[in-house]
Amino acid sequence: MRKALTLLALAAPLSAQAAETGDLVRFIACPVYRDADSGKKSGCWLASDPATGGRYDVSQSPYKPDWNFAVLVEGRLAAASPASCGAAVLEPVRTSRLAAPCVRHMLPAEGFPGRKYVLPRRNINPLSVARPLPPGPYAERVFTTWFEFDRDFLVYQYDDYQIDNAVTWIRGAKPAKLVVTGFAATTPETVSAQQIAERPEVAQERAESIAQTLRRLLPGMTVETKWEVGAKPSSDPDADGIPGQAQRRAEIRAVF
Amino acid sequence: MTERTGGGSAKPLPFRGEVGVGLVPPRGAGPGGQPPTPPLKGMGFRSAIIPAAVLITALSITASARAPERWWAPGEGRTFPASLDYANGQGTLRTLLVGGPMPTRGHPFFEPIGSNGRACVTCHQPADAMSLSAATVRERWEATRGNDPLFAAIDGSNCPVLPQHDKASHSLLIERGLFRIQRPWPVTSFNGDPVTPDFTIEVVRDPNGCNSGPHYGPAAGNVSVYRRPRPVANMKYLLAVGFPFDPKQGYALPLDPDDGKPQSGNLMADNRAGNLRIQMEDAAASHLQLMGRLTPAQIARIKDFETRVYTAQQVSNGAGPLDALGASGGPAKLRDSEPGALGSIGVPVWSEFAAWEKIAPAEAAKLSPAELAFRQSVARGARVFRDKTFLITDTAGINSRMGFGNPVRNSCVFCHNMSQMGNDVAPGQVDLGTTTQPFADPWSDLPLFRITCLKAPHPHYGRVILTYDPGFALTSGKCADVGKITLQSMRGLSARAPYFSNGLAKDLRGIVDYYERRYNIGYTEQEKQDLVNMMSAL
Repeated sequence: MRKALTLLALAAPLSAQAAETGDLVRFIACPVYRDADSGKKSGCWLASDPATGGRYDVSQSPYKPDWNFAVLVEGRLAAASPASCGAAVLEPVRTSRLAAPCVRHMLPAEGFPGRKYVLPRRNINPLSVARPLPPGPYAERVFTTWFEFDRDFLVYQYDDYQIDNAVTWIRGAKPAKLVVTGFAATTPETVSAQQIAERPEVAQERAESIAQTLRRLLPGMTVETKWEVGAKPSSDPDADGIPGQAQRRAEIRAVF
Repeated sequence: MTERTGGGSAKPLPFRGEVGVGLVPPRGAGPGGQPPTPPLKGMGFRSAIIPAAVLITALSITASARAPERWWAPGEGRTFPASLDYANGQGTLRTLLVGGPMPTRGHPFFEPIGSNGRACVTCHQPADAMSLSAATVRERWEATRGNDPLFAAIDGSNCPVLPQHDKASHSLLIERGLFRIQRPWPVTSFNGDPVTPDFTIEVVRDPNGCNSGPHYGPAAGNVSVYRRPRPVANMKYLLAVGFPFDPKQGYALPLDPDDGKPQSGNLMADNRAGNLRIQMEDAAASHLQLMGRLTPAQIARIKDFETRVYTAQQVSNGAGPLDALGASGGPAKLRDSEPGALGSIGVPVWSEFAAWEKIAPAEAAKLSPAELAFRQSVARGARVFRDKTFLITDTAGINSRMGFGNPVRNSCVFCHNMSQMGNDVAPGQVDLGTTTQPFADPWSDLPLFRITCLKAPHPHYGRVILTYDPGFALTSGKCADVGKITLQSMRGLSARAPYFSNGLAKDLRGIVDYYERRYNIGYTEQEKQDLVNMMSAL
């Protein structure tokens, strides 16, 4: 059921003007930092859709903007109150840093409190915490890691969580080998009147990056790499229903 | 006075062969830039604490033994005591050796095993928190007229090609405690993996003749940079691994080639050695000019010693004993605690002084007003360190490549996050800008390099970068790592000024001032002083 709902969500059309809760918005903009101060990591990230002028709170992205560069915003309009940061909330949301430079801009808090930091749900335990091996039986299984647009960098408190869980399962399952496949969303798309596409080589970079990490975490395990361009979205729910995120991935296939 | 000198007050100087606790008086000027400890009324400090018999003995022994008592000379054969106190400008540093006293005769950490007369202890002095202060360097120059092996041409001078009898040729070591570190260029491997650097390096300015000459610069396959020696103590914290990933680099932690375990990445300024064996071999070949290789037995003995040494400030001139009235400063807490814990989810960083936030009136009445105020200041400083947030901007390792965003609001413990120690639980390679323009101070006596990124530009500096020291990039080969320097240890600071990898902060206030101008934090004058006082107690 969860998988069906996710597929349904991924099939939803992109909308230039998000008006309903759950609608997907996707645009490119220069991010604005609001210096709301409710303690550590509490500042707000805002971005305005150039097609509508609508400003969104994109603070909940697992990889956050750099005020010197444009961001690709992908998110769904949430029902949450705009009271935290002063804009409509996108949640889930992703904000990929692009190469285009921006004039850095910071707003004062203007009475908005931001959000008091809480640990994200995808947060790994210290090594001192035991990781019980999941019970069998074991069969071929795929684990997925996710990336920022056109990057191969392992995302903190997202990919590390996915990999930590995968490695715990793999340690118990003892597959014959792992096959890591990197995907790149290379089919050009027009977003905010700009044509964007990932580099084909980022597919290999993603595969090699994850393979390197797996070789360190699972010494002696055979790890092979593959890569594919023109990626189609995965139905994995950990893409949080964001089609672009569901394309930008690497899959770890445990083969027996 | 008795309280200030603590457990070592009744013991004589640790002359050779002595076992147990020793206290050595401070030099004339404190390493924290503060005036020396005032003498007792009508009596010099040395006379106040050194028994007459010891003074008589000291006057009668050989010329070499009359060298400054604080100095551990290579091969002198002293026994390293179980507890050793040295006074400094802020109070008393205590060094503990787990397992009890250790004879140093024949020990490879203390013997001149290389060809230049130095031992490991030359640059890792117990009185200087197992590092080396610039003040000690100056004392050695004056005491030996520059003939101590410390000033060996290979790295104790600005460049071996300079006239070695000339004090000016050693100015970086004498003035800022900087040794020449020669790194291979181009980088060829990191953690056993092949590396092709994604940047070029050119010498823009070479005030010392090393980087533009035929032997020690890029033309000879080298880069010469200048760095402070890092403390060899409290090692279990520097080796501790809290999580399986290096979020700054985007990989799982690399594995130790010797034991297959994850490496902490916190040993060296540029993370070029992931374990103690590799660090020792690097140091023996370069700093000691050892012609052969360390034997496995030598490596094991050095590792054994280095993993048993704990050092921290034990007594504060301002506050008195740092483990009094509920506080738990000093090295014993370090020795007895488990390393690698994240302060934000466990024991808060510098909560050793939390009990001094509210000192009961009855206890407060036993303190002088100055002592009470200083203890309260130390406790406030710990709070400021943890809780005063500011916007961290354009700092690789924080604002890039990981996804915290640029800027991100946080405090000192964002990076200095390990309980008891204040180093980074993750590998701590961060670019504070201390070595790289536009943030670095304009040091005309350091070489200046132009880095050109060949692939993606640096996330903050762009394609062309001017730096005195590329730091971690000389190990990883990545342009994105230019300027990253592994976080410094924060224990025993009072014993080992100046600070930062290139000695830019001449005293503890200099550290605070650098952060203030780098990040426009807005510390009040009281907060600055509280931070200085807290750091002086570490």
